[in-house]
Amino acid sequence: MAQSNFSAVDEYGFERHDDFDYESYEDFMSNYLKVLATRAQKWATLLGEGKSVKRTNTVKRYVRKGIPSEHRPSVWMAISGAEKMKDQCPDLYQKILDGPFEKELVDLVKTDLPRTFPDNIYFTKEANHQTHLFNILIAYAHNNRVVGYCQGLNYIAGLLLLATKSEETSFWLLKVLVEKILPDYYTKTMDGLIVDIEVLSELVKSKVPDVHQHVINLGLPWAVITTKWFVCLFAEVLPIETVLRIWDCLFYEGSKILFRVCLTLIKANKSDIMACNDFTSLAECFKAIVKNASALHCHEFMQSIFKVPGTLSNATIIKLRARFAKQRREQQQKEQR
Amino acid sequence: MATNRSGAAQRPNGAPQTKVCQFKLVLLGESAVGKSSLVLRFVKGQFHEYQESTIGAAFLTQTVCLDDTTVKFEIWDTAGQERYHSLAPMYYRGAQAAIVVYDITNQDTFGRAKNWVKELQRQASPSIVIALAGNKSDLAAKRMVEFEEAQAYADENGLLFMETSAKTAMNVNDIFLAIANKLPKSEGAGAAGAGGARRLADGEQPRPSSCCK
Repeated sequence: MAQSNFSAVDEYGFERHDDFDYESYEDFMSNYLKVLATRAQKWATLLGEGKSVKRTNTVKRYVRKGIPSEHRPSVWMAISGAEKMKDQCPDLYQKILDGPFEKELVDLVKTDLPRTFPDNIYFTKEANHQTHLFNILIAYAHNNRVVGYCQGLNYIAGLLLLATKSEETSFWLLKVLVEKILPDYYTKTMDGLIVDIEVLSELVKSKVPDVHQHVINLGLPWAVITTKWFVCLFAEVLPIETVLRIWDCLFYEGSKILFRVCLTLIKANKSDIMACNDFTSLAECFKAIVKNASALHCHEFMQSIFKVPGTLSNATIIKLRARFAKQRREQQQKEQR
Repeated sequence: MATNRSGAAQRPNGAPQTKVCQFKLVLLGESAVGKSSLVLRFVKGQFHEYQESTIGAAFLTQTVCLDDTTVKFEIWDTAGQERYHSLAPMYYRGAQAAIVVYDITNQDTFGRAKNWVKELQRQASPSIVIALAGNKSDLAAKRMVEFEEAQAYADENGLLFMETSAKTAMNVNDIFLAIANKLPKSEGAGAAGAGGARRLADGEQPRPSSCCK
């Protein structure tokens, strides 16, 4: 990978726009290539022993330092539990694709096909990824009727496809994400998403209270800033290599990782956020912090997500989720009365 | 009212040549009717045949000049899919203007636009300026929503109405200009009831209720 740092298209097929900062990118890559070489060796040793990847502390540590791109499909399948799901119904994907399909779902998915990564050479009309993406999304929409098709899944499935180069692997990874790893972000009421945005707001309030107050004062709701972060799991938000490194951990460690990333972005860019004195500059600031140098330097960024936010236990997340879910239910009941 | 703020250009004192007004505008409408494309055309003068689907919302700003006033729009471009609906109030809360968009080649999107108008009339600021945009007018050959039908609906509901094309740029600047013209810019007018959502920053002094003094 990464031979293409001077190409107009990156290693995943995304066109580099006119404003692409080749200098910063070269600076980043010159160091990251060394990291990649070391990690490749380590993983080769680990996988070379013929052992299947199990959930051990060594593997967890390795995952945090990044899975080499060539191993991502198999390692993601193994560490996320998607492999197990697949073993229980190995023919599922093919069976769904035999159809028939509901027209309404087909129309929904088809609308978004040309609108997914239009700046990626594999997703142009002439290339074949739009067909693969259709298959993944339509299969999943029929497999999980509660979710059906939710906008945002197109970017996740699209990036899974670019990373794994396999329709079926992408389908299973999408399924494990939506059904096992994430709360119900993509259902018709998006309750899990709304709850997690509240959870994040509460975490910011306790960990970086001055930032929380400042953002509230300027009148920007956290949901406005972070909806896309959660829905797309940072795809189409952070630089692609950073997203894939986050996904490495997401597949192993679960949705808590998303909060770590959010909190790191907010805490590490605190001075920029605090320097904003109106709504417009704050909104622009949140657009900028996901594209700056520290977001690009994925290896250092991924190290920082385990340090910058401080302690963050699963118990805390579970407790907060329960609290805000309850609040939301009560609110909904009130509105119904 | 903190929502309509004096532009930095006219401060700290002295009589400015032109007034600067800032307004929050939200775009609503069914998925793939062209909300993002209208914004992209208005803000950057560009058009992409395949515009990425918007997740959550996108924020952009653009300024238009009227005779004696500069109007700066804070534009919130929202996601169209029905399930994102529960997030929409965040975006139209405190908005002084809204463009509700439908696709003239798709009757369902016109129905959805009417629902948005109803919701805004019920839930948004009472003084919100609403414009209805029948987009994709370049595809008139595939028209499913008659101009007269939409015009009659807009008249009944006191909406600005234009058919637009983000692709050809037809009426895109015009609809934003029409909104800018209709927004209250005189002292004491308009912002009543529209704001309140945005509080002042620490240390920021409350300013007079009018944006254009």
